Amino acid sequence: MMHKKICMLGGFAVGKTSLVRRFVTNLFSEQYHTTIGVTVEKKSVSVAGEDVTLMLWDLYGDDEFQRIRESYLRGSSGYILVVDGTRKETLATALDLQRTVEGLLGPIPFALIVNKSDVRDVWEIDDAALSELRQQGWTIFFGSAKTGEGVEAIFSALAHRLLQQTT
Amino acid sequence: MRTHHTRQAAQGKTLCTQLFVALETAVLERVDQTDTFLLQGTVPAWWPSIFGTTTPPSTVQPGERSPFLKQFFTEAEQSWARHAAGLVRSGPWTERDQHGTTLHLEATALLVNSRQLLLVARLGADFEQARATLQQAREQALRHAQTTKLQTRNESRLTSQLSQSEELRDDLLGVLQGLGLATILTDGQGRITFISDEAAGLLNLSTDRTGQRWEQVLSCSKKDRDAISTRLRSPAEQHDPLTLHLETGNPRWLDVTVSPHPRHNEKRILLFHDTTEIHDLRRLLDEKARFHDLVGSSPSMMQVYQLVRDIARVEATVLIEGETGTGKELIARAIHCSSSRKQGPFIAANCAGFTDSLLGSQLFGHKRGAFTGAVGDQAGLFESADGGTVFLDEIGDIPLNVQTSLLRVLQEKEVTRLGEAKPRKVNVRILAATHHNLNEDIVRGTFRTDLLYRIRVARIQLPPLRDRRDDIPLLASAFLGQIRAAMGKGVDQISPDALRLLLSYAWPGNVRELKSAIEFAAIGCKGQRITATDLPPEITRSQSHTPLSTWMPPSTSHDERAQLLRALNQASGNRSEAAKLLGMSRATLYRRLANHRIDIPR
Repeated sequence: MMHKKICMLGGFAVGKTSLVRRFVTNLFSEQYHTTIGVTVEKKSVSVAGEDVTLMLWDLYGDDEFQRIRESYLRGSSGYILVVDGTRKETLATALDLQRTVEGLLGPIPFALIVNKSDVRDVWEIDDAALSELRQQGWTIFFGSAKTGEGVEAIFSALAHRLLQQTT
Repeated sequence: MRTHHTRQAAQGKTLCTQLFVALETAVLERVDQTDTFLLQGTVPAWWPSIFGTTTPPSTVQPGERSPFLKQFFTEAEQSWARHAAGLVRSGPWTERDQHGTTLHLEATALLVNSRQLLLVARLGADFEQARATLQQAREQALRHAQTTKLQTRNESRLTSQLSQSEELRDDLLGVLQGLGLATILTDGQGRITFISDEAAGLLNLSTDRTGQRWEQVLSCSKKDRDAISTRLRSPAEQHDPLTLHLETGNPRWLDVTVSPHPRHNEKRILLFHDTTEIHDLRRLLDEKARFHDLVGSSPSMMQVYQLVRDIARVEATVLIEGETGTGKELIARAIHCSSSRKQGPFIAANCAGFTDSLLGSQLFGHKRGAFTGAVGDQAGLFESADGGTVFLDEIGDIPLNVQTSLLRVLQEKEVTRLGEAKPRKVNVRILAATHHNLNEDIVRGTFRTDLLYRIRVARIQLPPLRDRRDDIPLLASAFLGQIRAAMGKGVDQISPDALRLLLSYAWPGNVRELKSAIEFAAIGCKGQRITATDLPPEITRSQSHTPLSTWMPPSTSHDERAQLLRALNQASGNRSEAAKLLGMSRATLYRRLANHRIDIPR
């Protein structure tokens, strides 16, 4: 079976662990637990009739306390940038991380999810900023680890692209 | 010695093993250049739950179980290949055991005597402490960000509200200025916080006066200022406007309404209305409606005023006729004051009720000893009025012999004191008045014809009040003003009901009775406004009684008799009441009843 390493990247408390947990176990907790280091989860999915095991590297949130270790990123087939829709500054963090990863690993597939769509009325990130990224070719999803909205879709979409790249 | 070293080496190996166990660290040595490692020493307690039961020195492939470790081998391999000294750390990672319990681990790769070693340690209390601290720091950062965001949002909302309020204020200000409302807003200390353009213009304010006290911009009398102060202390919507007179600059009359601010109890809104034009018009009307002390703007009174002006220009003797209470003496005074004699004296004498000698003495004077009680020389009224005017009221009541002496004064312009023979020259103008019909008196022989013709060179007939009802509101208002000033009461209005009664009443006592009625009402009035119940009972009763609108002046003897009988009948024989109805004193009533030989049993 094909194994693909996917890194979850983003600022702290944007919901990386919650998205992985929702995707792998379909569970959600309101409580915030900061991640230190890495937690690796696995989930097998079928993409275009082919079984793929996604190795989901849930990395700690990037901030002034913890900077991403490049060694964690090595060997990634793709990555998901997670942004908290209610915190504008997390989009800037995601953009920084994307530049770091691309500098290290080259142009590998990635997608961006704007998390916490369940509280969209208090979002600070507007469509104008995102549409500019879309114009640059970014794949952007809106989702919520709390409700599950967009979770399957982003992993599935990235898995397809990884598979396409392999073939 | 060798035995000793061997024992020491064995003890050291045991110590290292015990140390690794205490540090919960597994020691693995790479076998050849494979992914297989040889487990050394004693395995820590956590190892089997992740990597399965293994007894040293068994071989294991930990990368099969842990993708993280598998990737770390790549990094470690590069270091081992370079034969680099020092340690390569994996950084912490989390593994979940068979029971779902998470364990935090960290791997360290090192090269010892060309042996490739991998230490896998479980992170313990220090790690948990660091994690808790980090969690706390991030939660605090989130809370801070949330607070900042909330503050920013509130600031933004408040800024927006402020902007909207300012816009609304500007709009309202525009409307206010557009409406031309003269408005001043004051704070709790009486300081001005806003002045509309209209108010600034009205009060002649060329500079911005906000921040000053209201007294500094209103140059009015102390009385007006006190009145405004009172209103500012207790403003009420129902208060009538205050009228104040601006004294400096361009004098103006203003009506001021003081209202409480709808939202701030301590603030006040002063609204000014320029009533100067109204005031001027009212003054002009008043002037037109007044002639000396006479009040009335009815056509009949306007004719009287004109007649007075005409008569004042000549020296002719005047007979003023009119019912009792119509203001005959006021006409006499008006003639005097409008004439060239106005600097001279005006002496009024009521000729009724005097004996011949007393009246003669009063009018012409007497010499000492001329009659009993004449203890000294005494000049009469004619002499006293020299250069001025003598007004003889009730001339119809003068005894015949005095009429003769009076005729001489009129013809010769001289008087002779009682008891003297030598006449004295006098320069007086005689004005006479009567409510009698002197023609009838001549027929009866009680008045001299020649005297009548002498005194009736000019005639003024005063209309009774019932014939000039239009003047009643003016008169009532004028009397109320006089009474208010005299009594110091705040009565300044007459209710419509009371005014209706005043207008419908017959007024047999004419203007004098009206003045008396207003005074009566003002005394009894409890508020600012005279009501119907404050009026004298004969006026309020006139609504239910047969109105005396049919009352006519006693122009003929027959009419007077009929009138007397009607009044007595209406008063049920009560002579005091009948006298009131007829607007005359009881004495006059008795005299007239006697004249007509009407006898009412007591």
